[in-house]
Formats: sequence, structure tokens, C-alpha cells
Amino acid sequence: MKLVGIVGSNADISYNRKLLTYIQKHFGQLFDLEILEIKDIPLFNQSDDQTYSAPIQKLNNKILQADGVIIATPEHNHTIPAALKSVLEWLSFNIHPLENKPVMIVGASYYDQGSSRAQLHLRQILDAPGVNAIVMPGNEFLLGKVKEAFDENDDLKDQRTIDFLESILKKFIKFIDVVTVLQGPKPVAEPEDLFATGKIDTTIDGLDMSAEDWVEQAAEIIDAAEGQDYVKLNRGILTVDQLNHFLASMPMELTFVDSNNQFLYYNFTSSAEEMLAPRTPDQVGNPLANCHPERVYKSVEWVIQQLRSGATDVVRVHVPTHGPDKYVVHNYTAIHDEEGNYVGINEYVCDLKPTIDWYLKQTGQALIGDADAVSSASVKDHTDDVDAVSGASESS
Amino acid sequence: MVRLIGLVGTNSDQSTNRQLLKFMKKHFVSQAEIEIVEIKDLPIFNKPEEIKVPESVQTIADKIEAAEGVIISTPEYDHAVPASLINTLNWLSYGIYPFVDKPVMITGASYGTLGSSRAQMHLRQILDAPELKARIMPSSEFLLSHSLQAFDEDNQLKDSEQIQQLEGLFKDFLIFIDIMKHLNHAHESNKKVAENFSWEEA
Repeated sequence: MKLVGIVGSNADISYNRKLLTYIQKHFGQLFDLEILEIKDIPLFNQSDDQTYSAPIQKLNNKILQADGVIIATPEHNHTIPAALKSVLEWLSFNIHPLENKPVMIVGASYYDQGSSRAQLHLRQILDAPGVNAIVMPGNEFLLGKVKEAFDENDDLKDQRTIDFLESILKKFIKFIDVVTVLQGPKPVAEPEDLFATGKIDTTIDGLDMSAEDWVEQAAEIIDAAEGQDYVKLNRGILTVDQLNHFLASMPMELTFVDSNNQFLYYNFTSSAEEMLAPRTPDQVGNPLANCHPERVYKSVEWVIQQLRSGATDVVRVHVPTHGPDKYVVHNYTAIHDEEGNYVGINEYVCDLKPTIDWYLKQTGQALIGDADAVSSASVKDHTDDVDAVSGASESS
Repeated sequence: MVRLIGLVGTNSDQSTNRQLLKFMKKHFVSQAEIEIVEIKDLPIFNKPEEIKVPESVQTIADKIEAAEGVIISTPEYDHAVPASLINTLNWLSYGIYPFVDKPVMITGASYGTLGSSRAQMHLRQILDAPELKARIMPSSEFLLSHSLQAFDEDNQLKDSEQIQQLEGLFKDFLIFIDIMKHLNHAHESNKKVAENFSWEEA
């Protein structure tokens, strides 16, 4: 379950931020919570539409992709802060990401009542036709006297408060399920174009994607930077050589697939036989369909759909075919731009075993139970999928 | 002549609330001098560590301080007061307290049928907060619904019943201001309460 938490204050110091951070840390078992700031959102002005600016689009995308939203609001002058109201106005003007979205309200404040009036206003606002969120009824969480509420580790001190918070968070998860049922079956995900027949802004036109020297041909067409050419990055400047050496030194195999499902890059350091997930230089440029046998297209499509739709930001698959000395994991991670738009997939493949061994040695700990039991759990479930998506080597 | 401020409750270029205040300024010119004040150019309030307001805010605060009463005309965004008006009131209660005991009349115009009724209720609650503590005229509501169709080309309210209602309310507001002048024995201490108020210690 993927939730986002909106910090309802733009102040540098905010106990509502602290509360969300606590929820994120303490209830990680229940859900993934991503905390969103509203500091960069300008004051709403209907005569100066900034709906499509990066900070607002980022919020929009994050909310659209979340299963539910937790809003933590302070109270200023008996109502919610102007900064939070402004955000809600942007999100109900030309875009409506909160529509039908399950929302839970929490609030922290310096005084006893803990934002009670602000929370009531917020409920009314979220109920307005342009916003149209589905706010969980009842279950108010008002954290009063916040200055005394957290200990030096930023953990809530009072066990009863923690228990109550846990109980309503669990209710919220159920609430999300109920709302999901109310809304009927989810729309079926768009089919994926594994043959990359489409075109995105960055697609290099005019050559055969499956050509063995696609990289060289493409580089010529666009006059690509290389060797000692400098590239300006966020944050720094490197030459292409430096960038290559840097990526080659990563303790994992990296693969970049763009949002058009074209395989554009891997950090080529060794031959296919030596790789955890074999790739060969001539494969680069191919549409994903060419990198996988047809029998696994469905699985490949499923992974991309999850990442593109935002249903999840990462799909992890353990590949057990490397024997007991390795614990190889394929991590398919969605790549997003500053505005939260889906850009493609970062597939990084690594063997976790050395890291785990190092950790155990450093901390003087040992694993309980035999390794077979631990590593075999997922084998049955995933073997098919795994072959599916990692089968780059099975291409023509 | 009574000096009043007409505070436009939005930063939008097009606003029927601004139109309403302009109408009132002209219509009541023999009874009061209404200065229309805009909230367009204020920065977003972010509770800066140093309790100091920008000059644009101080200018508005001084005007309110000097006036005998304030008319706030608010639109309704999402069942509530627009962020830009909340923002203005956040600034106007941050180490400065121009609203304490200030007579306030609330009006509101909206494109729809309800004429900002919910926003007006919220605004009353907001103005009653410890650091604003305005004297809001009770039992008075002026809701201008379907405001896009409410004015003619000379910015006159078309509906004579609405004009009548507004005239009555305005007359009451002037009397309300007068009464409030007599209810001023606690003003100094009210101001102190606002100044000493700290959410951190309350």
C-alpha cells in the first residue's frame, strides 16, 4: 500500500512534519509513506495559472499514484494555514487529483486542542465539489502540546497516543479498501508497446533499432557527446569518460529502458557470461520485445504497467538460479522527472550476499535457520517471472 | 465622515467582490469614505523566525489601524475563504494586531447560488482568533449570489431588493461602529492579550 503524507505547513520548523515522519518510520510495516512538502507551491491566484509548473505537477502525480493521502495540518487563526489552502486550491482548479481519493486528516499543534477547528475546516474544504476527496469520517487525531510530545529521537512519548494512532491508521487502510470497492473494478492498465513502435521526445529516429551497431549509428545522427566532452549534471560536471568510469564502478549491473520501452543503456563492464543478468553490446537500442522470448511478454508488460501507473515504484525479484553462494535481486525501479512523470526503468541487478555477510561479520551476528529455507521461499512463485524479465540474453 | 477600508478578499484580477466594494464605495459616498485595499501583492506567509512583516503588509495594517471599520468581501473557494485572504490575515496577526476590536462587516459575492455562505462562516471564526479578535457585526450577512449577472454596465447592482438590504446593513454597520466606540474599555488589555498570546505557550 502506497500513501503520501502532505505536510500542511510551509514553515521551516513544523511539528506536523515531525508527526508524518514519525508515522513513516514507525508504521512502515503497514504501508509505504512518502512525505510531500508544500514549500515550493506558490500562492494560488486564478489570474496567474501555474497548474502546470513542476512543483504542482509533482504533487499532482504523486497524489494520483497513491492509494491514499494523509494530510497533517497545523492551525493558524482558527483555520488551516494559507499555504495548505493554496495547495488545495491549485489541486481543485484545473486538475483534481484528490477526486475520490481516500484522505485521512491528522494535526499537531502547540496548544491543547491540537488543530481541532482547522481539521473541521479542512473536512469541509476536502468535501467541496472541486476537491471531492473521500475523507475518513470520525477518527480525529489531534496531537496537542506538541513541544512535549516527542522525545529526543523524535518518537512519540506517550504509549496510549501511539496505540491510538496505530488503531486509526489501521482503520484508514481498511477505509481505503472499502473506498476501492465503492469505486468498482479498477480500469485495466493500458497495454504496453513492447516493440517500441511509438516515439518519445528523446527517441532517435531514422535507424534500425535492432542494428548491432545501433549505438554508433545513433551517436552519429545526434552528434553525441563522448570522451572528453563535458556533461552538465545535477549536481556537477563530468566528462563522458568520467561518467562511464563512474557508472562502471557501481557495484551492480545497471540498465536503462526509456518510457518508449526501448533498451538504451547498460553499464558494460564484462562479457555476458560473467554478468548476473547477461547483456551484450549489440542488444542496446532494441525494443524490449527483442530482448525477451515471446512467452514472457505478459510478465514484462506487467512489470512496466506497475511502474508506469505508479502502482509501485519498484518491483523486486529474487533470481535463485545462481546457487546458494549468491542472493541475486533484480530491482526494476521507476524513473521519474522533476514533475513526477514516468521516464523509464532503472533495472539494477546485484548480489546481496556479500553485503549481508559483511554486515553479519561487522556486527557479530548470524542468521537463524538454514539458508535453503530462507532462499527457497520465493523460488516457486517467481521463477517464471524472473526468467521473463531478466532474459535479455535469450534474444536472437 | 466615517473612514472605512474595503478589503478585497482575493488576489484575482477579475473579482465580483472587488466590484461589490466599488459599488458600495460609490453608493455610500455621502455616508462614508471607503478606501479599497488590495491583497494582491503580498508574499506567501511562512511563519518566518524573525517576527517581522513585509512593508506591503505594514501598509495595509496602518490603513486598517487608522480606519474606523473594515468591510471584507470574500469569495468562496472550495467551501472556504481563499488562500490569499487567509494569507493576508496570517500576516495581519503576526506581531501586529490591527484587527483587535476593529468593527468588521462581512460581505461576499459568488458566481453560484450560495453566495459564499460557508466562506463567510469560516471568516467569522478566523476573525475571532486570539490574534485577530475583530468585532464582527453579528446577525448580518450579505450574500451576493450569481454575481456575474448582478451588476449592470455602470457597475450598479441591478436588483433593488439587494440594494435595499445592503443599505440597511450598511446603516447598521455605522451604528455598530458607534456602539463599539463605547465598548472600548477593555481595548488596551485586549491588545495586550493579543500581543502576549503565544500558541507555543497557550
